[in-house]
Amino acid sequence: MVSQPTKCETSIGFGILLVLAGIVIGVFLKQSHYNPAVLVRGALEAGIRAAPKADLSEEFLIEVAAGMVPMNPPEIFGPENLSDKINGRAELYLSAGFLRLLCQRFAEANDPSSWMEVFIYDMGIIRRAFAVYSVQRRPDAEKATFTEFAYRTENALFFLHGRYYVELIAAVTTQRMAEAMQVFAHTFIGKTEVQGGDIEELALFPREGLNEEGITFLISNAFGFDRFDNVFMADYALGNTQLTAFLSIRENPSEASELVAAYHGFLLANGGVNVESDIGVPGAKVVKILDSFEVVFSQGKFLAGIHAAQDRGQAEKHAIRLMQKLSGASG
Amino acid sequence: MRRELRDESMNRREFLLRTAKAGAGVAATCFLAYWLYDGTPPGPLQEQDELVMLPDFSMPGLGPKMSIVTGGDRIQTVNRALKAIGGIEAFIKPGDRVLLKVNAAFATPPILSATTNPQLAAEVAHLCFKAGAASVVVTDNPINDPESCFNLTGIAEAARSVGARVFLPTEDSFEPTTVKDATLIRGWPLLYSPFVGINKVIGIAPVKDHHRSGASMTMKNWYGLLGGRRNIFHQDIHNAIKELAMMVTPTLVILDATTAMMTNGPTGGSLADLKRTNTMIASTDQVAADAFGATLLGKTVAQLPYISKAEASGVGTADYASLNPIRESTG
Repeated sequence: MVSQPTKCETSIGFGILLVLAGIVIGVFLKQSHYNPAVLVRGALEAGIRAAPKADLSEEFLIEVAAGMVPMNPPEIFGPENLSDKINGRAELYLSAGFLRLLCQRFAEANDPSSWMEVFIYDMGIIRRAFAVYSVQRRPDAEKATFTEFAYRTENALFFLHGRYYVELIAAVTTQRMAEAMQVFAHTFIGKTEVQGGDIEELALFPREGLNEEGITFLISNAFGFDRFDNVFMADYALGNTQLTAFLSIRENPSEASELVAAYHGFLLANGGVNVESDIGVPGAKVVKILDSFEVVFSQGKFLAGIHAAQDRGQAEKHAIRLMQKLSGASG
Repeated sequence: MRRELRDESMNRREFLLRTAKAGAGVAATCFLAYWLYDGTPPGPLQEQDELVMLPDFSMPGLGPKMSIVTGGDRIQTVNRALKAIGGIEAFIKPGDRVLLKVNAAFATPPILSATTNPQLAAEVAHLCFKAGAASVVVTDNPINDPESCFNLTGIAEAARSVGARVFLPTEDSFEPTTVKDATLIRGWPLLYSPFVGINKVIGIAPVKDHHRSGASMTMKNWYGLLGGRRNIFHQDIHNAIKELAMMVTPTLVILDATTAMMTNGPTGGSLADLKRTNTMIASTDQVAADAFGATLLGKTVAQLPYISKAEASGVGTADYASLNPIRESTG
């Protein structure tokens, strides 16, 4: 005969089960509140695994810089010691998924005071290389045409080649050094094979009024909103108005629309005021904040909108243009 | 029958006994954990009497002084700025042994303004000697290789040209220090050897944007006195800078804003990152100097939290106007 448990035993049993349930709930809640930086890092690490292995040897730079005299041995930095080279700017690269930096200084053979330093940042994939390139782009710099993404300033040349973001920084501003940097860039591109790969978002921005050199890719925390990651922004001059359009490809349409609601809430929580508007974009939100206008909407898996527009009419018109462009892209 | 007996004992005495044992086990584990738990943060690695601390290098009874001089020639502006607050003789007395803490963080050319201007460092050293200083040592613990940094920035040659000694840190130049009331700089390696015998300290820093802290000026300049894996301080950069300001009470700071690095700091890389702001600041109050420097970067004190934190710690005042800074121009 098996006797029934007493009330005391039952209570203790329930108590234990409740404690276990509490632990499960606690673990679940903790796991659902990850630091966004951790999530971004995880996504980037996934990308790194997919990226091909770095193939630039330490001797490579000397080969490319033929004719110039190395001033020091090549230096290599990884994520663990990048800040030993570039101090506080390392955070920018690390948050974008930096893999390796190869750098070295070279001087002209007949003038040691005329030197440049070469920085080759291996970012793993072109999107992440574009992120660090675009965020640091000097707005008034002269566009260089030897490759798609390149510009020069008085003493430096900056360009993108596949997964590599390259900086050539000179100590002098002579024509001869400018030519030496140009030769280096051409040789580097010629000698460095990279996998192809377009950044599809760049073609999704409407061309009217677009500043082609004003497209930026933010890996995280766009507009101060910690849930806005992987966001492309493009600067526009429309009539007398300047505004920024943005878009981001999300995992699926429901994530895109959920982010619209979240960003809308973020704007309202920071002093924004809803503006009644019917721009023909389903679910679009228009908010006035700090004397400028924000529009945010989703189109399929695209999250998109207008940021910091001074003119509401232009903001709404451009939102429609952007939506139409995305509509075509999402089929 | 035997089954019934076993079930009966399990249901009552044995169950309660086992429950009591389990409870005692849990209680013992909790007690052990509590006994082993150390609620105090990690303390200094050394005993207190083995730690070094920098003395107060300020001039007693002189009170806070500040000058802001505009002009494009550093030699002229620094002379005028010092004269405005009583002349270098008010701070450097015959026989003094002076340490100039420059920013030589990077092996970059002077034109990038990422480091202390070499002519400015030399001029200040020269003025110290002129005032009767027995010795002047110029030092920093750079991010990159010290010898390359001091040579390529031009600081080594400029300092030696006026008779100053350049101290390049080595591994045995550091001693552990703990800043009073600090939570971060505790038992941390301090570049101490060049301070031995020193009785006056002048910080000379450029005005720069900084990706992590927002700005790098006189207070951030003390970062170059730390050794070890100091980049971990970037995770709590504002409190770290506050503690650096608490660590060093200088005789004087000189903030060089002849050319300010407005973007892509602290390394910059392009002349396009720079702006001629034609200003030299001399101050006995490093917080006030940085608060004014922030305005030249187009930033407010609120955007640079370390300034308010340093003020709250009693290091100085963010209200630089309250010091009635003497404003002059070299024309």
